[in-house]
Amino acid sequence: MVSLRIFFIGGLMSYRAMFGWMNPWIFVPALLVSPICQILLFAFIGRSAGVGDDEFYVIGNALNYAAIPCLFAMASTIAGERFSQTLGLVIATPARRVPLFLGRALPVIANGWGVAMFGVVVGSLLLDTDIPTSAWPLIALVVAVGSLSSTGLGLVMGAINLVYREGATLGNVLFLVLLIFTGTNVALDDLPGWMAAVGRCLPLTHAIEATRMLGDGATWGAVRGLVATELLIGLAYVVVGLSSIRVLERLSRSGATLDRI
Amino acid sequence: MIRLRQLAVCYWLQLKILLFSPFEGFLAVVFPLMFATAAMLVYEVGGDPEAILYAAIGAAAMGIWTSQTVSASTLVQRERWAGTLELVVAAPTRFSLVLLPITFAMATIGLYSVVATILWNWWLFDVRLQVENWPLFVLSILMATVTIALFGFLLSVTAVRYRTSWALGAALEYPGWLLCGFVVPLDLLPAAVLPLSWILAPTWAVEGMRASAAGESPWLDLAICGLVGLGYAALAAYLGVRLIDSARRDATLALT
Amino acid sequence: MPSRDPGRTVARVPLTDTPAVQARDLRRTFRSRSGIWRQTRSEVEAVKGVSFEIAPGELFGLLGPNGAGKTTTIKMLITLLIPTSGSASVLGRDVVTDVREVRSRIGYVFGGDRGLYERLTGLDNLRYFSELYGVPPREQRARIGSLLELVGLTGREGEKVEGYSRGMRQRLHIARGLLHDPDVFFLDEPSIGIDPVGARELRATIAGLRDQGKTVLLTTHYMFEADELCDRIAVIRSGEIVAEGTPDELKELVSAGRVLEVETYGVHDHVLDRLRVVPGVRSVVVEERGQLQVLVVASEPGAEVTQPVLGGLDETRVGRVSHRDPTLEDAYVELVTRTGA
Repeated sequence: MVSLRIFFIGGLMSYRAMFGWMNPWIFVPALLVSPICQILLFAFIGRSAGVGDDEFYVIGNALNYAAIPCLFAMASTIAGERFSQTLGLVIATPARRVPLFLGRALPVIANGWGVAMFGVVVGSLLLDTDIPTSAWPLIALVVAVGSLSSTGLGLVMGAINLVYREGATLGNVLFLVLLIFTGTNVALDDLPGWMAAVGRCLPLTHAIEATRMLGDGATWGAVRGLVATELLIGLAYVVVGLSSIRVLERLSRSGATLDRI
Repeated sequence: MIRLRQLAVCYWLQLKILLFSPFEGFLAVVFPLMFATAAMLVYEVGGDPEAILYAAIGAAAMGIWTSQTVSASTLVQRERWAGTLELVVAAPTRFSLVLLPITFAMATIGLYSVVATILWNWWLFDVRLQVENWPLFVLSILMATVTIALFGFLLSVTAVRYRTSWALGAALEYPGWLLCGFVVPLDLLPAAVLPLSWILAPTWAVEGMRASAAGESPWLDLAICGLVGLGYAALAAYLGVRLIDSARRDATLALT
Repeated sequence: MPSRDPGRTVARVPLTDTPAVQARDLRRTFRSRSGIWRQTRSEVEAVKGVSFEIAPGELFGLLGPNGAGKTTTIKMLITLLIPTSGSASVLGRDVVTDVREVRSRIGYVFGGDRGLYERLTGLDNLRYFSELYGVPPREQRARIGSLLELVGLTGREGEKVEGYSRGMRQRLHIARGLLHDPDVFFLDEPSIGIDPVGARELRATIAGLRDQGKTVLLTTHYMFEADELCDRIAVIRSGEIVAEGTPDELKELVSAGRVLEVETYGVHDHVLDRLRVVPGVRSVVVEERGQLQVLVVASEPGAEVTQPVLGGLDETRVGRVSHRDPTLEDAYVELVTRTGA
């Protein structure tokens, strides 16, 4: 993820950014090695502090890390358009925006899902966890919902990036907010009340909670409400993101703001 | 004398560049600060004041590691993107003497993050560092800064030729936090990785920080730290010459 | 053609016999790898045996199309690249072994807007490189001041480079390259992307360097620039020098006579082939200008080709016909498009 920050700063947005994902020299350290290291870091912090068990940190950090591809890739598919000066062209087409942008979101969601699942599986193998075999299909589903809602936030971030230049910085700040507020490493109940309240409005919070419950053997009935909430939050971000893009589109017609780099 | 002046001016100008950068000037401080916060939150849940203090001391130094490894591994890459790498190499000054002040400028950002983290922990978690021997504590922090700077120096020299080295360098951030024992005692780690911790100079500097905080003698730790740091410097100077030569042979300076 | 100061030739008689720059059979191949899992290697020979000499105080032009090997040649001369074979020296020092000495006596400036620290002011950029070039602290301030004056940036030096225009950046580059008062100056396409006014100022600056007795190697795409500035020119094509001489000599290479330009609409290749064998015709080059094609016909000295050429075009719609003196560009175009030369 750190690498992704630089990724952006180096001006590798646009096509090259997307191409960069395909490069194993970037993909492996940034999206496979780093999340495992983050899981290990906090699992050991937890052991040292005598708080929680390994499974708690494996699930929390693996899902948290899904935010990296979701935020950055989604934002870059939009911001990349601006850098290649094609956003105006895309917006000018009569194609409907919703399928246009959601179509781009699909590979991003898949990417986030893959990264998070890799984290959960490898983290479980490395550390001391006992997730029941029967829980895995539902975990996979919940992780997909979590990726979707993170991608929704990524869409909002992409919209902001259209007018705000330091996209990489913003992405990292959002990632840090998610790290602290979504209960990644400290359960919401143990956070100060206001932080927990913020966490309830963020993507991933409910997905992390639901995944932990599934890992502890909970049934679908027990987590259904959490998953539905996560999905709703995700859709809310998608709506906000799409409408912001629409507003910016209108602004750009009058002020030509989108073609400025 | 002239060399010293050269190092000082270059250091100052490079520091200016870093301070105006949204990444090095802002994120390199905020990122580790937030990870330190997350770690502190976990320790707060545990509630053991001794463990909290232990974590607070190490967490303070996390930022130096970030500003060095992440920035240093991209240092050469940034010069390349800016198109200045060739110009800098084409100057008659030795390349290692160009890099040295840059790494110290990055270390200064790291030092700033130490102070920021200490103040932050004080304000947010009400953790007051209880330090028995402040001069030695500060000396240990400086040793941590300098040796991590030298490690960054080594990284940046090694990275001259490789285009995606930054991705690998960036991937060092978390393992470094873990291996140097910033927030986790080393005896919790598997024995197999301990040799890695030992060859990382900051491990010894953090030990020195804890020893001086507790009123014990940090001198042995600091001596080992200094030796390892000198090893980095020697290796970097040697590799620097070799790598620039091979970059001239293989035309890798101008790659973007 | 600007007037050349006749007195200058006398002043520029080399003090020693050592050429300022000497390249002997320089070659450079690049290996490139593509693919990550299954790597394929390919070798490209960018420079294939280039030899030339530049006398002290001479302004030497290296002309050639993109990818001809100009930049690679310069990079070998300024020690950034090691030649695959052959040798080169600058002021008598070998560019492979005597690196430090060569670097301290040459300046290097390339075109485009890269190569500066965006977040520093122009002044700080110059201070930084002054240190790297070991300009004595006592002289720095005066030196930077006079260079800012020379490139017309006085008053703007306190602004950050990110706000500079392309022309300003380019002039800052030149100031940077001159900080340590180099004896030999390498300019790699310095006027690229600069507006006409800026380019004219830049040419004046370069001409000023020549008048100070500096040796300059200039690469450029702009023929009039080379024509106006250079004492001698080498044309490089596909890594080889295909012609060398003064601008006038090069023009004569193409034609001592005149150039015939014929506007046509829809000319066919077989017609061109027919024109090329007309006695007295040296070359026929087609320039596309929208719907019409302009045939640029260079002829042998003294040959009268207008009638035969127009006769050969009887099936083609012909527009305006004109004659003009050959330019360096004609020479250049012919040299770099000539096949098997």
